[in-house]
Amino acid sequence: MKEHKPKIICFLCKWCTSAGADLAGTSRLRYPPAILPIRVMCSSRIDPAFIIKAFLNGADGVFIGGCHPGDCHYQEGNYHTRRRFAILKKVFDALGLESKRLKLSWISASEGVKFARVSNEYTEKIKSFGENPTKSNVFL
Amino acid sequence: MSKKIGVYVCECGPNIADKVDIKKILAEISSLSEPPERIIITKKHKLLCSNEGQDFLADEIKKNELTHLVIAACSPRDHDITFMNVCKRTNLNPYLYKLINIREHCAWIIPDKEEATEKAIQYIRAGINRVAYQAPLTEKELDSIPDVLVIGAGIAGIESSLSLASEKRKVYLLERTSSIGGKVTKFEKILPHQGTNLDIIREKIQAVQENENIKIFTETEVDKAVGFLGNFEITLKNIHNDDQKNEFKVGAIVVATGYNLFNPEKIPRYGYGKIEDVYTSMEIEESNSKTGKILLKSGKPPRTAALIHCVGREEKGYCSRVCCNYMFKIAQYLKEKRPDIKITEFYQDLCLPNKADQEFFVDTKNKEVDFIRFKDISIKQKDKEKFIEYTKTDGKKEKIPAEMIILAPAIEPAAGSEDIAELLNISLDEMGFFQEAHQKLNPVATSIDGVFIVGSAQNPKNIPDSIMDAQAVGGKILTQLIPGVKLVPEVTISEISDAFCTGCQTCLSVCSYGAIYFDEDRNISVVNEAICRGCGNCVASCPSGAAHAKHFTSPQIYQEVLEAIR
Ligand SMILES: Cc1cc2nc3c(=O)[nH]c(=O)nc-3n(C[C@H](O)[C@H](O)[C@H](O)COP(=O)(O)OP(=O)(O)OC[C@H]3O[C@@H](n4cnc5c(N)ncnc54)[C@H](O)[C@@H]3O)c2cc1C
Ligand code: SF4
Ligand code: SF4
Ligand code: SF4
Ligand code: FES
Repeated sequence: MKEHKPKIICFLCKWCTSAGADLAGTSRLRYPPAILPIRVMCSSRIDPAFIIKAFLNGADGVFIGGCHPGDCHYQEGNYHTRRRFAILKKVFDALGLESKRLKLSWISASEGVKFARVSNEYTEKIKSFGENPTKSNVFL
Repeated sequence: MSKKIGVYVCECGPNIADKVDIKKILAEISSLSEPPERIIITKKHKLLCSNEGQDFLADEIKKNELTHLVIAACSPRDHDITFMNVCKRTNLNPYLYKLINIREHCAWIIPDKEEATEKAIQYIRAGINRVAYQAPLTEKELDSIPDVLVIGAGIAGIESSLSLASEKRKVYLLERTSSIGGKVTKFEKILPHQGTNLDIIREKIQAVQENENIKIFTETEVDKAVGFLGNFEITLKNIHNDDQKNEFKVGAIVVATGYNLFNPEKIPRYGYGKIEDVYTSMEIEESNSKTGKILLKSGKPPRTAALIHCVGREEKGYCSRVCCNYMFKIAQYLKEKRPDIKITEFYQDLCLPNKADQEFFVDTKNKEVDFIRFKDISIKQKDKEKFIEYTKTDGKKEKIPAEMIILAPAIEPAAGSEDIAELLNISLDEMGFFQEAHQKLNPVATSIDGVFIVGSAQNPKNIPDSIMDAQAVGGKILTQLIPGVKLVPEVTISEISDAFCTGCQTCLSVCSYGAIYFDEDRNISVVNEAICRGCGNCVASCPSGAAHAKHFTSPQIYQEVLEAIR
């Protein structure tokens, strides 16, 4: 069987996590190509609908990276993200989607190592879950 | 209309060229061309950010009459602005361009060249899809006023005014009491190094008074302040006469309202207000600077004195930072006046944060001042005698007599801080001080662009720290409000569609900047373009899909996501 190459959408806020991801790059750290970055101004821009749509279209995982609590460039954006994320997990469960495939992590501009670590661990986890079953299930 | 999208891959010297197969990228991306609707032109270059590279791009945009531009190179943090400027030069709207970071996200993290190339292709494809949905945006220019309002004429407000006022910039310095200078004018001397008298402060006060570009209002408060960076409309009112008002416009506001002292009467065990000869530090400073004397009620100089630190610290929940030091200063005043006086300082923790503090402490101790660390303390009176009863850190209870008792009450935010916060739409922290935009990274700014905080209005501070704040704010304002230069507000902001908005006001509740207001007449919410920062929080919160984030619209993000996972 061909090895499953997961596709993971990774939303990065411009001010922290995106800079952390850059640092992972400039430090020549290693993490799998599965991580596909999408840059937004703040993690609070991420509409839960984006994530649902990504899953229905075959993403194997969605990972949101934002500034640490208290460090959001827009004051309280990431607190809203956190709340929406908690609700989204429940919505996922209710819809029969796998909420375990969702990840939220706070990664600062100086945490290139953390970005690489989280990306590695998360990709491994997603690999162990196998392909996202939703893309073959027509259920909506 | 058919789209002509140029995709340019940068080699970044060997950085990208060695790690991904650029030839393959170009071939695959070219094959995405779907004429006549979507024509994709691809090319590579050695170093796009170089002058030569920029000229090459400009040339390509013009020659090929590109409608959109995708650059696959480095991080937007490095060269987004460089390439946006190239767009501007060629009259391609800079919001019709997208930079894809194949260096940090592919070349540098994936050792396998084939895998790195594959990811780069996927990532560029997503970018092409997104760019096709991007819309041109126009930067607006707003007139801005360079003048500044400073609220509070303590040392922080005075220094702010001095660092800002110039021929081209007027400063309105506002003070609610009848004279300027704030607390420092009440001191006899300024620490550290006992001996610095107030002349240096008086010079500053005189300098503000003589400065033609600083207009001082005393016994005045802010009545109204509305607007945004570059354009605030201000109304001042005289505190004795509501009808006496002043109106003017400024571009920025500096809050320098300082502090008040905690009222020790609130903690009865200190005996303040009940037991004779229990004073606050400020009362001692004032009496000393006015009369040159520190005397008991009886008119005699004290033979024994107890100086009690940290009054109200536990109640307030924070350390006031300046008291330990000025209590050494007060001990030294007393020693100078009466060398045989017996002084005991009661402290809980010693706060010696500045470089000269340790030396000042040792110097005070060497002048035979006793220091006792206590857990509990209270002041008792029996007949004419007063005692300090205290529990030491080892749990032992002891007591000593004292003729004079001097308290160091906690530093609290100035009375009326809530009103100022409400007027200016900024926040207070849990302690009641003004909340900075970012405690670590942006301590003199607030959540509102153009509103700043200096001195002990933000946090208990000594004079040098207050001056440092004032100079920092001076720098910020001087670079943000340059006389004659127009302001270009953020373009990638949110907008609300009248047709879709149901008036639920969810968006209002999530915006940290108060950038959305509710239009009662039309029953819809409206974004104030001059205030919105474009975080997109309101957009994600809107249940009706009425709010849009320019340059980060849902279709743009969907297109990028869908193509990335295709
Ligand atoms: C007893 C004592 C001794 C001290 N000794 C020293 C020392 O030796 N060295 C040292 O570095 N620090 C010392 N400090 C600390 C020092 O007082 C502060 O660092 C300094 O005063 C802070 O200046 P400021 O301008 O922030 O505040 P303030 O001095 O409090 O000035 C604020 C001004 O704003 C005005 N104001 C407030 N609200 C409004 C309003 N709504 N509208 C208009 N005006 C308003 C007030 O009337 C006041 O004039 C001492 C403090 C105490 C209590
Ligand atoms: S544009 Fe970016 S990727 Fe290209 S050479 Fe300059 S730094 Fe490197
Ligand atoms: S959340 Fe949406 S519908 Fe509700 S007021 Fe704001 S823009 Fe209108
Ligand atoms: S984008 Fe952010 S700053 Fe602008 S109105 Fe919405 S929530 Fe407020
Ligand atoms: S800017 Fe990073 S989470 Fe808001």
